Amino acid sequence: MRTLKLLFWAVFAMSALTSRAQTKTVTGKVTDGKDGTPIIGASVTVKGTNAGTVTNSEGNFSISVSASATSLSISALGYESQEVPITGAPLDITLQPAQARNLDEVLVVGYGGTKIKKDMTGNVAKVKGADVQGMPVSNFNQALQGRAAGVFVEANNGKVGEGVKILIRGSGSISASNSPLYVIDGVPINNSSYSGNPIADINFNDVESFDILKDASASAIYGSRAANGVVLITTKRGKAGRTNIQVNTQYGVNKPTNYRGFLNAREYIDLLREAAINSDHIDGVDPLDPTQYEDSWLEFAEGRLDRYSGWSDWRSVETNTNWEKMAFQKRALTSMLDISASGGTDKTKFYISTSYNNQDGILIGNRFRRLSTRINLDQTVTDKLKIGFNLGLSQTKAGRVPVDNEFSTPMQIVALSPVTPVRDLDGKLYNTPTTTYSNPYVDYIDGKYQSLIYRNIGNIYAQYSFLPNLFFRTELGADIQNQNDDQFYGFNTTYGNGTNGYGESDWYRSLDYNVNNFFNYKKTFADVHDLDAIVGMSYQRYNSEYANVFGEQFPVEDLQKLASSALIKGGTSVESNSSFLSYFLRANYKFSNKYLFTFSGRVDGSSVFGNDRRYGFFPALSAGWIATEEDFLKNSNWLSFLKLRGSWGLTGNADGFGDFAHLGLWAGSSYNGTSGLVPTQLANDKLRWEKSNQVDIGLDFGLFNNRVSGEIDFYNRKTNDLIYNVPVPSNSGFTTQTVNIGAMQNRGVEIVLNSDNISTRSFRWSTNLNVSFNKNKILKLDGDQTIVPGTDGRYLNSLMVGQSIGIFYGPRYAGVDPANGDALYYEQDGKTTTNDYNLAGNFIVGNPNPKAIVGFTNSFAYKGIELSVLFQGVFGNQVMNGAGGFMSASFDWFDNQTRDQLRRWQNPGDITDVPQLRLGYGNGISASSRYIYDADYIRLKNITLAYQLPNAVLQRLKMKSLKVYVTGVNLLTFTDYPGWDPEVNTDYRASNRNQGSDFYAAPQIKNISVGLNIGL
Amino acid sequence: MRYPILYLLLALLLATGCSKKLDIKPTQSISEDQVFTNDANIKAALNGAYDKVSSASLLGGDLQLFAELLAADGEIRWAGTYNQPEEVYNKAILTNNSYVFSTWSTAYSAINICNNIISAINVVNADDQDRIRGEALFLRGLMYFELVKLFGQPYSAGNTTSNLGVPLIITPTIGNISDANRVPRNTVEEVYTQVLDDLTDAKTLLPEENGVYATTYMAAAVLSRVYLQMANYVGARDEANYVIESGYYDLPSTYAASFNNTANSSGDILAMQVTAQDGDNDMHMFWSIPDYGARDGDVDVLQKHINLYEVGDARRALFYIDDLGIYRSGKWKLQYRNIPCVRLAEMYLTRAESNFRLSTNVGDTPDADINDVIRAKAGLGSIPITLDAILLERHKELAHEGQRIHDVKRLKLSVDGFAYNDNKLVFPIPIREINAVGGGVLQQNPGYQ
Repeated sequence: MRTLKLLFWAVFAMSALTSRAQTKTVTGKVTDGKDGTPIIGASVTVKGTNAGTVTNSEGNFSISVSASATSLSISALGYESQEVPITGAPLDITLQPAQARNLDEVLVVGYGGTKIKKDMTGNVAKVKGADVQGMPVSNFNQALQGRAAGVFVEANNGKVGEGVKILIRGSGSISASNSPLYVIDGVPINNSSYSGNPIADINFNDVESFDILKDASASAIYGSRAANGVVLITTKRGKAGRTNIQVNTQYGVNKPTNYRGFLNAREYIDLLREAAINSDHIDGVDPLDPTQYEDSWLEFAEGRLDRYSGWSDWRSVETNTNWEKMAFQKRALTSMLDISASGGTDKTKFYISTSYNNQDGILIGNRFRRLSTRINLDQTVTDKLKIGFNLGLSQTKAGRVPVDNEFSTPMQIVALSPVTPVRDLDGKLYNTPTTTYSNPYVDYIDGKYQSLIYRNIGNIYAQYSFLPNLFFRTELGADIQNQNDDQFYGFNTTYGNGTNGYGESDWYRSLDYNVNNFFNYKKTFADVHDLDAIVGMSYQRYNSEYANVFGEQFPVEDLQKLASSALIKGGTSVESNSSFLSYFLRANYKFSNKYLFTFSGRVDGSSVFGNDRRYGFFPALSAGWIATEEDFLKNSNWLSFLKLRGSWGLTGNADGFGDFAHLGLWAGSSYNGTSGLVPTQLANDKLRWEKSNQVDIGLDFGLFNNRVSGEIDFYNRKTNDLIYNVPVPSNSGFTTQTVNIGAMQNRGVEIVLNSDNISTRSFRWSTNLNVSFNKNKILKLDGDQTIVPGTDGRYLNSLMVGQSIGIFYGPRYAGVDPANGDALYYEQDGKTTTNDYNLAGNFIVGNPNPKAIVGFTNSFAYKGIELSVLFQGVFGNQVMNGAGGFMSASFDWFDNQTRDQLRRWQNPGDITDVPQLRLGYGNGISASSRYIYDADYIRLKNITLAYQLPNAVLQRLKMKSLKVYVTGVNLLTFTDYPGWDPEVNTDYRASNRNQGSDFYAAPQIKNISVGLNIGL
Repeated sequence: MRYPILYLLLALLLATGCSKKLDIKPTQSISEDQVFTNDANIKAALNGAYDKVSSASLLGGDLQLFAELLAADGEIRWAGTYNQPEEVYNKAILTNNSYVFSTWSTAYSAINICNNIISAINVVNADDQDRIRGEALFLRGLMYFELVKLFGQPYSAGNTTSNLGVPLIITPTIGNISDANRVPRNTVEEVYTQVLDDLTDAKTLLPEENGVYATTYMAAAVLSRVYLQMANYVGARDEANYVIESGYYDLPSTYAASFNNTANSSGDILAMQVTAQDGDNDMHMFWSIPDYGARDGDVDVLQKHINLYEVGDARRALFYIDDLGIYRSGKWKLQYRNIPCVRLAEMYLTRAESNFRLSTNVGDTPDADINDVIRAKAGLGSIPITLDAILLERHKELAHEGQRIHDVKRLKLSVDGFAYNDNKLVFPIPIREINAVGGGVLQQNPGYQ
């Protein structure tokens, strides 16, 4: 609250400075343009100053203004703002209720271009920065979730600042990147980093708009990189006039969306002993007979119970620890402070901001702090020359936790036995051998993993107008990442145990610079021919360097830098480079405001392909027809806008499979302290661009004076020459080769509806609905293979011709044999069952790709109260729990088990889906449909309730606006998924193919925050 | 701003002269065609082959671990949480077992390097050609021997010309995958023939001394193992004797001195080199305990095994008991220690067994080899020599060093109720490999189809 106090003082100080000069008095009345009723509390300000007043109960106002003042700004909630010149006579002002402005939206289309949505022939989804401002998430992709049709967003897990997948119109590739290209103010940014998510470095409160280029016509101007769509991010810029100062401060709390629940100590003991006895029976041993007890499974199990229960007695269930709760922080707080100022003169315009975002993750040891600033400056030098620059700087500090498959990651604490006390009698945390596995809580207390990232994204530009219609623009941009990860694990931790600690220091730096040069020509001929064209070139170079060193044997745990390590175990330094050289052309032609045409073409060269396969040509064509401009529709009462559009284009993909995949390579190795050479990669000098061929047919419409507007799009995107690390016979000495094989298709429908349901002076209700259906299908793998089954034993993600990428293909679980409790699988005939997993047939047993995604927003405004509610849903997909073989495993080992194991088979005749418990005998624990679950969900993604103080109060406070709000993220989740959270894809194996997998992945974060937004 | 044409020129300048910018070379790898162009590179590649052989998936521990888990027989227990070794222990291996695949693929990766070296041998300095070629042949023979023992029926099961071993690939992979890689499995007999050819050639090509790398004696020692598997006792005896008589090796002063060494002991014929900076030791990882930097003590040694030893046996004394009262193998106690793979003691045991079976006394009598060498080193008195006595000494002397299942198989014993030739004691061909080769070319082992 200290901050707030300071702000108030700042306000008073500013009001004191308001100059006193010669004044005149202006009076007037403000009325509703529809029904003529007076508008109460409308704000009346002198343009370019702070001076202002509000209308009274008759809608009248009187304001004294300086003699030089020329115009007034009038605004009121729920109305379009207006500017009126001061004439001397009393002013009669009518305000029009605010309209759905969707079709007039200005879309950003790349290389300096903008276009009114009405005139667009391609498909661009726009999300305004204002819509996501202040959302308490670290990554703007999470803020975009549910807000744009055809854009699928999924956080791997609930770790703050970590991986988030974004797919635009489905998954386009198998081994190359599936991520869109991100361009911030003309700079294509580097979307990889050493740890964490590079997108989280960006303060999205500075963002004016996100324009998501989805179809080929929209994105082909970025040809080489555009196959997965392009996200153009435009940051805020100043406008001439008075300086606006915005302050937003916010405090909140993070919680997990769900706890899963495991066996308690009593259940754990009973079931474990039951499992051991069952295993003894298999061996023909009766362990309850004292003479047969030695070396029996029961002796083994009870020995382990003794071991795991530490000081306490498991026989009397002295301890009952809920380890799951220990994975989460007791108090995870979030806070944000965001201050910005913008303004300028005719010649100079600026936007500056600074922001601090602090998020405690829900997991122990997980934290995210970002400090960022931005300066955007535009200067008009002469009427022909403009120069300027944009610069975003950020520092991200993150407390990281290991990936989901590490024993030391917090969530794996759930595997520990509930009979184990947290601490010994001296108050020391228990660890192995008392705990079943090394205790992640010890790693949290005695270890640290801290990342520090400096990120600098910016560019400078100059723009020169040769002719009124022709300008040349040159841009030089850079994205620099500088990252240091420091790790230290103390003497009792998983990594530091037995070696007197473990320390590691990793340094990563990437430099991505980019030059754009282009000409823009714009002219209207004979009033009906509008031409807008650009031609230019671009060169981009990526460089990344990484070095690390790690060591053991630290004298004391306080000395954590490697300077104190007595045994430097190793270190490395590596570098990678790539470059792109491109020439592009785009022309828009509009005839008579009715017929729209766009052509774009781009020639791209990239260093990552074989010598004679480097260049690709990426053309796109589109056309639109605004039917409502035709005479026969012009006067329709209900149809206010109708546009048909179609596009075709080719885009390319050259990211995500390494910079040198076309070369046959050998690299250094060592043995016996001597260096060696080993082959690392098979050559493929024919490696070439992955090409995506997309057709989009769309319809934009507006009804009832555009109160209802929408879009319907059908698309068919076919990717050829898929880049894929194809498995090769490993008797060659290699396991994969990067080749172009096969084809994949994404077909879908996107529907967007915007509606102003109620729009009266005091109450407004608007709805936005977006629904997208996508069907992904692999059309061809290499000629011979039609199935590439999963290679990692716990999952079934496979590639199959005719099926979606990463489909679950493998044994189908047939339940439990009522006679003996054996887990059963179907043989290939689909009818016969077997208890031998190796004899099980293979079937399609699930699909991790959602069939449909939905976003549904309702916004309400009543007087100064605003409520916005966003529901987001994902439908038709399945998730596989790769950890099922540990946590739902009929006590194959000593991991604590999920509660469904209570319904295990016990006696002949039992009908259940949980096999007989068997210690060490793996009854039904291998990857099968048993661990696959429906993962549809609907989630209250975001809800915000805000109160905007009335103008009358603001006048007294000398503020332009003051809003208090409460906002929540993921407050409710509706799902049948039995795990922690259906939005999941475990981080350690997440890839294009490996989707829909759970493995001790943290549930998503639920946040509730209160905030205050002040405009000065 | 009166010279717009200057800007145009500037723009054109920026737009040209860039195409060279697409030529970018890697900085920490070299192209395959550069590798086999000079002597130094080929020697480096040879060291790379040793590096592969010393991987965790091969002699860095997993080959030994598999051999012991398959032959557990109530003497040891897999008490760890990992499923892949558990499957081996339970003799219920899944065809997608990732450890099994890694062993397969890493062995072939080593073989591919050897094939490359052998085919480019002319580039090597003339003086070194024999040694380099000998080392490559030795490693290739060793790898095929390890593969055929795990993935095929044992030689002792007969039908060696129809039982399937592994595919023999003896040409290098250069540039691309070829039809030579999409071949069916060779028979057990064919693989053994290749192993014998490689090792015999290696033995003649290799020098007597070569640091920790392959020597003529190392080749002979492995040959003696191969002959023993084939029940060729003459061959086994003569190769073992050749090694013993060379005088290059001595049994270390104590039994314990053979293990946990940072440098090869005097009794090490073949040992994988491990340091803190380099090399894997999965035997330590799984058999030792967290106090010594290992995992959780994943392999328990059970009373049944301890009971094999007589009182006062130094080999028994090497076992230690952890805080929980469980026996642990002292051979794999410490971190970052070499892994002995063939020790001189084994040569004495092989010579004694072969001499006994053949009723010969080549080198020395079985009585002397067993009582005066092996048992004396263990601090034990003499016993009457029988075949069983020799085999029991072998069992104890080489316990938990990765030989047990191979002895079980050649001696036609049974373990955990599985006969020596049970299909479940043979590894499955990795399903991934069958798929990658395609066309049903690679035949799965019986019991996994």
